[in-house]
Amino acid sequence: MSEQPIISVSGLRKTYGGRSEKQYEALKGIDFDVQPGEFVGIMGASGSGKTTLLNMLATLDQPTSGTVKINGSDVTKLHGNKIADFRANEIGFIFQDFNLLETLTAFENIALPLSLQGVRKNQIKTTVYQIAAVLSISNLLDKYPTELSGGQKQRVAAARGIVHNPSLLLGDEPTGALDSKSARELLELLTQINQERDISVLLVTHDPFSASFCNRILFIKDGVIGQEIKRNDRSRNEFYQEILEQLGTFEQ
Amino acid sequence: MLLRLATSNIKNRIRDYIVLLTGLVMSSAIFYMFANLATNQQLIKSNLNFQYASQVFIFGTILLMIITFVYVMYANTFLLNMRQHDYGLFMMLGAKRSRVGALMVLETLIVGIGATIIGILFGILITGSLSGFLFDRLGLEIQHFNPLYPKAVAITFVLFALLFVIASFMNLQSLVRTPVLQLLKQSDSVDKFKFSRVRLIIQGIAGIILVGLGYWSLASIKTLQLMAIPIALITIVLGSYFIFKSSILLVITWIKKTNWASKKLNGFTLSQIMFRVHDYTRILTITSLLFALALGAITVGAGFHREIPMIANSQSSFTLSINNPTAAQKDSIKKLSGATSYTYQQKLDHKNVYYNQAELDTKPFKEPVPSSDFKKPTKFKNASSKELMENTPPDFAFLAGTPKPANIKIVPDKAFKSAKGTNQVVELVTVKDIPSNYKALTKLTDEQNKRYPSAVDNSGAGAFRSYQFVSSVFGGLEFIGYFLGIAFLAMLASCLMFKILSGTAQDQIRYNLLLKIGTRRSLLKRSINRELLVLFVIPGVLGIIDVLFGLQMFKPLMIDPYYNISILVGIFVIMYLGYYFLTSWLYKLIVLPEK
Repeated sequence: MSEQPIISVSGLRKTYGGRSEKQYEALKGIDFDVQPGEFVGIMGASGSGKTTLLNMLATLDQPTSGTVKINGSDVTKLHGNKIADFRANEIGFIFQDFNLLETLTAFENIALPLSLQGVRKNQIKTTVYQIAAVLSISNLLDKYPTELSGGQKQRVAAARGIVHNPSLLLGDEPTGALDSKSARELLELLTQINQERDISVLLVTHDPFSASFCNRILFIKDGVIGQEIKRNDRSRNEFYQEILEQLGTFEQ
Repeated sequence: MLLRLATSNIKNRIRDYIVLLTGLVMSSAIFYMFANLATNQQLIKSNLNFQYASQVFIFGTILLMIITFVYVMYANTFLLNMRQHDYGLFMMLGAKRSRVGALMVLETLIVGIGATIIGILFGILITGSLSGFLFDRLGLEIQHFNPLYPKAVAITFVLFALLFVIASFMNLQSLVRTPVLQLLKQSDSVDKFKFSRVRLIIQGIAGIILVGLGYWSLASIKTLQLMAIPIALITIVLGSYFIFKSSILLVITWIKKTNWASKKLNGFTLSQIMFRVHDYTRILTITSLLFALALGAITVGAGFHREIPMIANSQSSFTLSINNPTAAQKDSIKKLSGATSYTYQQKLDHKNVYYNQAELDTKPFKEPVPSSDFKKPTKFKNASSKELMENTPPDFAFLAGTPKPANIKIVPDKAFKSAKGTNQVVELVTVKDIPSNYKALTKLTDEQNKRYPSAVDNSGAGAFRSYQFVSSVFGGLEFIGYFLGIAFLAMLASCLMFKILSGTAQDQIRYNLLLKIGTRRSLLKRSINRELLVLFVIPGVLGIIDVLFGLQMFKPLMIDPYYNISILVGIFVIMYLGYYFLTSWLYKLIVLPEK
């Protein structure tokens, strides 16, 4: 397999506001690559542009200029149904507020991406049960989201994010609404998904603890990438210390 | 300050308020329309020769009041949900509960009473234009009807004001009980819809039995008399409620197990419907009842509309007779649609009217054949000269156009020519459809009355005279049928539309998420279309069944209440579907984000 980067971003700019309005440049030229199987974190304070960047990667928003290639195809050129299909096939999402459909059971929520792709019913069943077993939520499948705790909901959401075997899993502050125990469990789960299923993970967060689970962290500030650190072979704890130090100097 | 807070919020959520206000305005307008008829005792007494008429209107008013109550409560919940975050915020900033409570009562009353006043004005307006339209189209004149009826204005206003006072105190109650934190958290609580199957089955069976009982009581109105109506009212309301709650949920649970349910968004659509049916039970029950009332009312109206000319045409073989028509009259006879005419020569002396035997042989006068089976169209036979002279049919007697009845002499050609007296002709005009020629026929009749006043006031020969007479007896029923039918349809559509549109805030999140995880827009639209279609179809089907049984009630009054029912249902369904498309279009406009 050729080592084509899973994400390749170059010269990405985003300006908000029309010609007559006051313009605001959220992203001022961003370049970076993510290799297959990487676990990358993007850190930055509120207003740094990290959510804008994530929206571009997720094809939820169009850049003003620059390109975003995911798995070799330029997603900024996609329109209409192609965007929808691309999201359905290539990308998995985990959101801070879970975004489960409360009218569906956990099983139905997880099965949704497969149903959208037209997978057969039996195949859907086996796949969902497998994923549920991996994420230890097999006993929750018949429940509705209102009957689940925050941690359980996020696991169901994670299962929905990876059930269709996307090449990229995007997380938008996935631990933001969780208690520390559930947060740790979820991050361990994401690490496991990343390693065992070979899905690249990209996490946007401002929480150093969450970030310490990544292999590599990009720091974004005022619309540009300012710093990049790698974990290499260090323990998570050591990496965590470095992130804290970086944050201390970076945010000055 | 309190007032400013209350009004400034309206600016911010103008779209939600428009939905809310439209809903409330519609409901008070329609209530006014109904009250206008129901409270007008003179109108009911003079137009409805129907012994239970005022009782039927009382039951109708009670039913509409229940519906309005539920409707206002929905609107109120919608308003409270919209505002509770702000109320929580005010309290967090240190406002006293009592102060916030006062603000809330004030807001509810401003919105409610404002909507009621606009609604009544609107109601007067539609009552005026709708009745004008109906009178014009149906060729009716109704005594004692006035679009602006003060008693109805007062009743509508008092009822709605009372409902909003109750509503605002209910709001106050819930505000006192709810902790500030919960107010601040937008309510994302979705009713759990786990249900026990046994209970559902029991409810389903109870529902079917109740509805059956209701239908039975309507069908046996002859034996039960007036009791049939309250029995049917209670059993059908409760029965439909149970049927919605149980059978539909059971059916969907079953469909969800099939292969079809796992394709694309089908599973999601089914779950949405399930969730909605559960959430909408009350509104769907009301909708089905309104559907039945509307369709029933229009069917009855149409039935009378059809029967009035039928009864009229059975009285006489021709529509109208005119003595010595003027050039202008001949002209307007030519302009009648589907008209045929023939003339007889007459000779009048002070006592007798002579007819030419030869003329009557070539153009025989037809008289109705008496029949015991009144459901069949009347047959006409040629009347012999002997019969015409000895046993004169009333419409033939009037042909002379004399103030006093004249002796009829039918004589051979020679004798006719030599008879002394003034020459006169009478033209007998027959039109196929009386209502569509109503205006021209009225004018011709009035002219004939003026030129040849008859002995009895406003009576004369021809079916049109009978038509005018029967219209004055049954026209009121016909008018009320159409009027209420249209009013109920508007109420039903606005009820369902309002409920669907008021839930958009939560739905928006769902559809947004589905788009994010890669659902095609076209697929989402299809899912929404189907979901709303089911919500419209369910009460529609139940409503049609309600009508089919409900019409039993009119058997004693009408020749055949089921005549042409499929065409009427068809027209009604088309109108109803129009509302579906409007709702679905508005819903998609609100719920789906822009591209």
